[in-house]
Formats: sequence, C-alpha cells, structure tokens
Amino acid sequence: MVGFKLSLQKPPEAKRINDDVIMRFDDVYEIAPEKMQIFPQQDLPAWDTLRIVASRWDHLDWMHAHWADSTLGAEEIEAGADAATETETEAR
Amino acid sequence: MSTAVALSDPVLDELRAILGDDHVLTGLSARYNRTRVPSPFPVHRWKDYVPDVVVLPRTAEQVSAVVKLANRYRIPVVPRAGGTGLADGAVPLRRGIIVDVKLMNQIHEIDLVDRTVTVGPGINMLKLNEELRKHGVIYPDDPASYPCSLVGGRIGTSGWSLLGSRYGHTRDLVISMQWVLPNGEIVHIGDGGGRKIRKSSTGYQLKHLFMGAQGTLGIVTQATLELVPRPEVEFAAFFAYPDYQAAWESTGALARSGLATLAGVVLFDEWKLRYLRRDDEAYIPQPDDVQAVVATAMYGTRDEVTPAARRLMRIGHETGGRYLGDEISQGDWASRHDRYATPLHGRLRDGQVVPMSWHCEDAALNYSVLPQVREEWHAIADRFIERHGIFDDWGMFAYTNGAYKPGGDYLVEIDIGIWEQKLNDENWAAWVQCKREITEVTLKYGGSITACHGSTREGDAEYVPAEMGGGFEVMKAIKLALDPNNVMNPGKNELDRSYQPVGSGEG
Amino acid sequence: MTAPPYDPMRDGNLQREFTEQWSDAAYGCFSSGHKFCREVCPVMQVTRNENHTPTAFHANVVAMEQGNLTIADVADDYVNCTQCGACELRCPNTLFTGDFYRNRTQTVKLVKAMRALAVDSGIEQPNWKRWVEATVDRKSEPVIEVPVEQEHVADWAHGLDLPIGGETILFVDCEAAFFRTSVARSTAQILKAAGIEFGLMREQWCCGGPAAEMGYVNHARSFAEHNVADWQAAGATRIITLDPHDYITFTEDYPAYFGEAYDIEIVHITELLAELVREGRITLSQPVERVVTYHDPCRLNKRKGIHESPREILRAIPGLVFKDVDHVTQWSYCSGAGAGFAIERPEIAAEISRRRVARAAELEVDTLVSACVWSERPLSRAGAEEGIEVMDLMELVAQAAGLDGHGIGDTSIPAVAAVAGADRNRGATNGAGTR
Repeated sequence: MVGFKLSLQKPPEAKRINDDVIMRFDDVYEIAPEKMQIFPQQDLPAWDTLRIVASRWDHLDWMHAHWADSTLGAEEIEAGADAATETETEAR
Repeated sequence: MSTAVALSDPVLDELRAILGDDHVLTGLSARYNRTRVPSPFPVHRWKDYVPDVVVLPRTAEQVSAVVKLANRYRIPVVPRAGGTGLADGAVPLRRGIIVDVKLMNQIHEIDLVDRTVTVGPGINMLKLNEELRKHGVIYPDDPASYPCSLVGGRIGTSGWSLLGSRYGHTRDLVISMQWVLPNGEIVHIGDGGGRKIRKSSTGYQLKHLFMGAQGTLGIVTQATLELVPRPEVEFAAFFAYPDYQAAWESTGALARSGLATLAGVVLFDEWKLRYLRRDDEAYIPQPDDVQAVVATAMYGTRDEVTPAARRLMRIGHETGGRYLGDEISQGDWASRHDRYATPLHGRLRDGQVVPMSWHCEDAALNYSVLPQVREEWHAIADRFIERHGIFDDWGMFAYTNGAYKPGGDYLVEIDIGIWEQKLNDENWAAWVQCKREITEVTLKYGGSITACHGSTREGDAEYVPAEMGGGFEVMKAIKLALDPNNVMNPGKNELDRSYQPVGSGEG
Repeated sequence: MTAPPYDPMRDGNLQREFTEQWSDAAYGCFSSGHKFCREVCPVMQVTRNENHTPTAFHANVVAMEQGNLTIADVADDYVNCTQCGACELRCPNTLFTGDFYRNRTQTVKLVKAMRALAVDSGIEQPNWKRWVEATVDRKSEPVIEVPVEQEHVADWAHGLDLPIGGETILFVDCEAAFFRTSVARSTAQILKAAGIEFGLMREQWCCGGPAAEMGYVNHARSFAEHNVADWQAAGATRIITLDPHDYITFTEDYPAYFGEAYDIEIVHITELLAELVREGRITLSQPVERVVTYHDPCRLNKRKGIHESPREILRAIPGLVFKDVDHVTQWSYCSGAGAGFAIERPEIAAEISRRRVARAAELEVDTLVSACVWSERPLSRAGAEEGIEVMDLMELVAQAAGLDGHGIGDTSIPAVAAVAGADRNRGATNGAGTR
C-alpha cells in the first residue's frame, strides 16, 4: 500500500535498551518517555519519525558532498594497505 | 525601562531619508528580535536591551551616513550580521541603532585567476560555497555555525574554523575589507593597500587590528576572500580511549604529526562522552571502556590524503586509540559543520529533560595544561550545579587552534546548559560568577579568555584589562583615537575606560 | 464570517491561552537560537528580514508570554511564510534529535496557530479575508482570473465519462479543476489507462487547507466535515490526491479534526503512479523530447519526504533528458505560492518564483517539471521571462502514454473555455496545449 492511513501511524511498541533509551522503529533510538515529564513529547505519527531519520542521513550525505568530491574511509585505506603489502611480498 | 523609541522624529526622518522608509524599522517585534544572540540571555530583562531602531542598509554609503548621523547625535550604533555569535557582541547594551547588514549579501566578484571572491558582509558561507562549487573552488571558513553565520560576523569576531589546521581561520582567509570607520569614513583595510594582496609590510598591519573588533571600531561593508580548490577527498577518523590521559597524549601525537592535509584534531573528555552516551544526536551506544574520544579530519587531493591517512591511523593506533569505524567517523564529522547545542540535551540532576540554553566557553589554552584545566573547570561547574539546579555540565572539547601548525594551543570548550525559563536575577548573578571563575582558571594557566567568540560578555569582559596587560592601554588609545564619541558598540570589552580622564582611578 | 472587533480584555485571555499552549515549543527554539533555519527559508532569502525567521516566530511567543509584545505587534510577521516546511525540517532540533526526543520543531503549526490567533483577535489580512469570504458561497477557492462556481467544479472532466462515487475517489484541487485543467484531465486519463477504477465526489468542496493556513480554522473545518461526509456517502475507502496541498490537508489537518474515526486511505498520485509504472500497468512509449529539471514541491519533499516517486516516473519517460538537482539542495527552493503568501505579498512571491526559475535556467533546460499545480502558475509566469516552459509531471506522463491530457485547447469544455479566455485576455502563454 502506498498511501496514508491514520490507524497505521501509531508508533510500534517500545523495546527497552537501557535506563535512558528505548527503541520502537528498527535502529531508531528514543529517549525513555519517563524522562520527558517536565517537557512534553509530541504525538509524532510514524511517517514523521521516518521522514526525520531519512532526512538526517540525506543531509549528512549532502554535507559530505558539499565539502569534497568523495569521502575516503579508513577501512578502505587499510584494505588497500594490506593488498599493497601482499603484492610487495609476492614481488620479492 | 520603557521600550518606546528614544530617538526623536527628526532623527528617524533623517534615517528614512538615508535608507528609504522600508529599511528603517521601529516596530517592537523588529527590535525585540534583534536584541539577543544564541548565548544564554537574561530573558527576564529582555526589555532592558531592546534597541531603538533597526536599519537595513544596502550600500557602504548608507552605512557611512548612518554612522555620521550617530556621531552628530551621539547615538550608539551596534552592527549585526547573523546574530549567531556566542559572546553578546551584537547585543545592544545601550540600545541605539542596530545596523543589520543582511541585505548586503551579494557576490560582487569571483576572480579565478587571482583566487579571490569579493562579497558583502551579509552573505552566509554555505550559500556562498553553493555558488562557488560550479567553479571548482571553495571558501573554507567552517565554524560550528557554518550554515547560518555570516561573513560580517566572522570578521567581527575573528572567527575560528574547524578546518583551521589546514586552511587557517577567518583572519587568514579574509584578504582585505572595505570598512566604515567610527567617524563614517569609508576606507580600505588589508595587509598594505592591495585589495588582493595577502602579505605586505607596507605601513601598519591594519587588517589584524580590525579583525575581531566586535563592531567597536566600525563596520565591514565588503570583504575580499581567499579561494582554495575544492577538496578531492575528505577523510575523518574517530578513535576511542579507555581514559583521558591516553586520549590527551594521542591528541598531541596526532596534532604534531606534521601532516599538511590535517584539518583538525578534537579531543572529547569523559564528561563529554557521558553526555554523548546519554543523548547524542545519533545515539550510538558505546561500551563503558570508551572514556574519551579523539576526532580527526583531513582534506586534499586523493594522492596526498591517502598516504597521510594511513600514517594518521598508525599514530592513532600506536597511541592507544581504537578506531570507531567508518560509519561513526563519517556520520559524526559531517554533523560537525552545524553543531550548535540542542536544548533538549539539558538534564536536571534527577535525569528529567528540560530545554536548556547553551553556554559555550571558548578559552585558548596550551596543550600542556589541558588535563588540569579540565579538572578545575568541572569542579567549578559541579559546585554551581549543586547549588542552583538549573545548570548542567555537557562536557569539554579541545580543538587544535593554531592555523596551519596545530598542536601547541587548543580552543578549549566546556559546554554548560542553562534552563533559561527559570532564570531570575539571583541565578543569573550566580551564572556570571561561575563564568568568572572559569575565566580566572584560564588566565591562571596563561591562556586567553576567548579563542574565537569574543570577550564581550559579562563574566569575560571584566578580565580583558587583566589579560591584555599593557596592551589594554594601547587598545584604549586606539579606541579613543578612532571613536572619540564612543558610538560604536559602546560598553563592550571594557572600552568605556578609554574615555575616562587619566588619573581617575580605574583604567 | 467576519471576525469580531479587537477587544483587548477578551484577547488578553486568548493570548494567554495561546502562549501557555506554545510556551514549551517557543523555548525549544528560543533556548537554542541557532538560526540554522534562516538560509533555507525562501522568504528570508529575498527579504533578509529577521522578523520573518522561524527564530522570530518562536521568540515572539516568549516575548508575548512575558508581556512585552501583543498579537497586534507581531501579526504582520507571520504573513511572511509559505509554510514550505524547510525551516522546521532543517532545524537541528528536528533533523538531529526530533526522532530521539519524539519532539520536533513545528514552525508551520505555530504560524498557522498565530494566524488563527490574529483572526480571532480581530486582526485580519485584507486579501485573505476576501479570499476566505469568496469560498463561503462558491465552496471552491477563488483561483482568481477564472470564475469559480460550485456547479462547474467537475467541468474539467467533460467527455471523460467519470462516474460519481465509488471506493476510490479522485480529489481534484481547485487550481486544477478551474485553472490548469490539463493536470486534472491528464491524471484522470492516466488512471483509467492503468485500469484504476475511481469516481468523483458528488459535491467536491475546497479541501479547506488554505483557509486553515490563513488562520480561518472553523471555516476550514466546516469544509472538511462536508468533504468527509461526501466520501462516506460515496462509499469511499480511498482518496487519490493529485496536488500536494490536498495530500497535506487530508493527512495532517483532517486527522487533527476527526481523530481515530478518520480511517480513510489517502494516496498521492506520484506514489501510486510510480508503483503502476514499476508493475508495468501503464506503458510510457511515446518519446517526450525535452531537456528537463524537476521542481520538488515543498509540500511533497520537505513536508512529507516524498521525493523519489516523481523522479522514478521521470526516469521512465522515454526521450527525456533529465538534469536533476537533489532533494536536499531543494530544501531551500520554493515557488512562493503556498499559505496565501502570494495573495498578501505578491512581489516577494514573484521574486521567489523568479529565483527558482533562474536556478533551472542555469542548468540549460527547456522545461521545468513540477508536481504541484499551485506552483505552476507563478513558475510559469517567471518561466515565460526565461524562455523555460513549466509543465506538470502528469501532463508529461499523459504525453508519454499517448493520452490526450491537454484540456486547454478544447474550448468546448466550459472550465477550459474560461481559462482560454482568461489566457487570451492576459496575452500569456500557458504550458500545456501550446505544443
């Protein structure tokens, strides 16, 4: 279904992660609601939470691309270094 | 104190004649909304600081005419670019005329041959760089307020850039400026007289004098900026340590590595980790043996960054760091370009969330004293938190400070949350006292009150004469010479003392 | 219909209730004072006036709470907003932690609420007042330039043999029903070609969204009640929207009015159409030889996070050269048309459109494709200056599917005749139908 239905916007039940944090959507952490008694939480429908999470990743990607043409990762470099060492060993 | 406009109709009419009716704002909301900046503000005393009028100039001539008028009538003038500063530089202490430069946001010229871009002070660096991208160049001035601060404010504060170890800070990236002096004269300010000349020995080094003057020596109306090639690659690596000492030693080793593409090294202390652990933007649970973190980043061509990054990784490992992985390193680094604090990270002692305003201390201190300063600052914060429940300690960062040659000194930040809704005269006074004690520690260890925000806040400003020593006499002489009527942002940096007769006690 | 005259005693209470309700949200912004919202705001980009920032919108509430400002001092500030949603999304309190705290910046809601407070306090914007009054009898938006009468709301469908009622209803935005009818005709014919069964409402009224955006809440709600009753009477379980403004109204405003009782499915046309294309239920085989870029409508992209389906559709159209600008860059783009802004601040709105089209011109395209019929009128005007044609996504798809989506040319259709007449009088070119 590609549409919106109000009854499907209720967030899933919370799973407790630790004293301070719960999780409802996969890989989306939330503050334990009992910590928000002075400053209230909002009634965020599911689509809104998911929009925020997706937008955050999109924004971070955008920020990387804004500053440089590509991002180099250490895992890639170390893999390259290992390969180079192997080649040198073989050449010898 | 009344917020009725204290300027007479003839004055307002003159302003309208200079700027046009639409660009002279006397409405209450126009003035209330140009009073504060993001630093903690005594909300209960807001009306004490509301300016009399706001003007929105488009040209240097208009700015000049306003400043001349201010001299004639002895009205304070407070320049305001983004209003995103963290030291109250743009807060009108004596009301007066706010000169809001946001309409002066044009790109006047892009020179790809002599490598400059000339802009108005009202332009934001992110928006500027969006335009520069198609030319393959970038203006690499990158504060935590990068998406919202404006070039005028960067000059007004002599800003610090996250990429300073590689590209320098605002004062290294601004080549020259068109400037309206406190008497209204429009002059060129640079290194010597050439608009696009970076280094000169002609005459006095005026650019350095005016950089960071917080509006007390006039208003920038145009700036010629440095262009660098757009980086081919960005590399970021975050390391975790079981204790602060190891992290601090690793920081030193990384910063001293001599790698030219290194843009910065950032040390997160244990309190900062505890803060991140409870409620970071990406909430990444970390095991308890991660007590401190060091972040590093590099920019440049692929050929130069790849081997440099390998060496950096080796140094990190050899000094006890555990690499936190690409996802955390890259994700967190990308978020550092817009990194003002989030109010809901505020916690009362019982763990309840309340929205807090953010004090960002920004002392400059040498590497050798970082561990001791950390202990003393946290002890001060702790005392104030215990006594007045509305504060919160969000931990400390230390960022490499020296341009191009990192390692010797650091921008040292303690982040204190303040529950602004509960501010009153008593706890505001307590807050200022806390601030003073933090500043005293800085001076005790031979540091500087402010690496980049400015010393214009209560809690800092009182110490400017002590920090500057004999240099404060020079400052006063300059202020008196250039601004005899004390119209430019009066009351900031203790510069009122410039006007006291010699032998009158203070000053 | 007219708001009662301003009464400081009564409105003191209204103001107090308002600031109590909004105090927490106001401090959530005021305590940070970041202003990361400022440079993405389409109005701020033009006016550079701090009064028009979300920061000021929230700070005003704090000042009102402290007795420093009243609604009369600030009402004008809140006119300067298209409710595009860029600011509240870009705000770090949403983008970085809104999901963690289950509390985000809600500037759009605040602007709407403050506009409602102004109306309830007797402070009305003259053009909005006239606009809303015009819908009392006509039941549809004034649309300007074209006469709007309730009995002509479905004239655009002339000759298409669309039933009334059914499980799926196509809701046709006022601007598409009366002005850019080619969007309505294209959409209807695409759905038919894909085998989707749908009907029209018995008596479609304006969704009520614009009235709510301008602060006329009771009026908006009365329209909502009518429309929902009509849907229920028609036996509808699904509503298809062809304009993002309606999608927002039906997925945000209507749930707020009706609560859990409101359980109808709302589907936006781009999401449905992308699925139909994926499943091969519609064939796009006629090449459309254009060099295009896509305008992310604010209310799809920023407000709802819908930015992939329109692009998927565009990439499926043969012959098209598609020069894309990513949807994050487009957080700072806007046509200027939303939330009544163009009605009260036409010069600023026109400048916002002009800048949007200038961005497209930089890419050397001949066409700017939008998926929001409201954006297409101001963008077309600006486009005419730059020699760029503004098309709706549905119009292009109808072409690619070999369907006659164009209504402008066929003057036997009353609504279309009125539009063609208006066009002739204006001497303006209009996108669809001139090829």
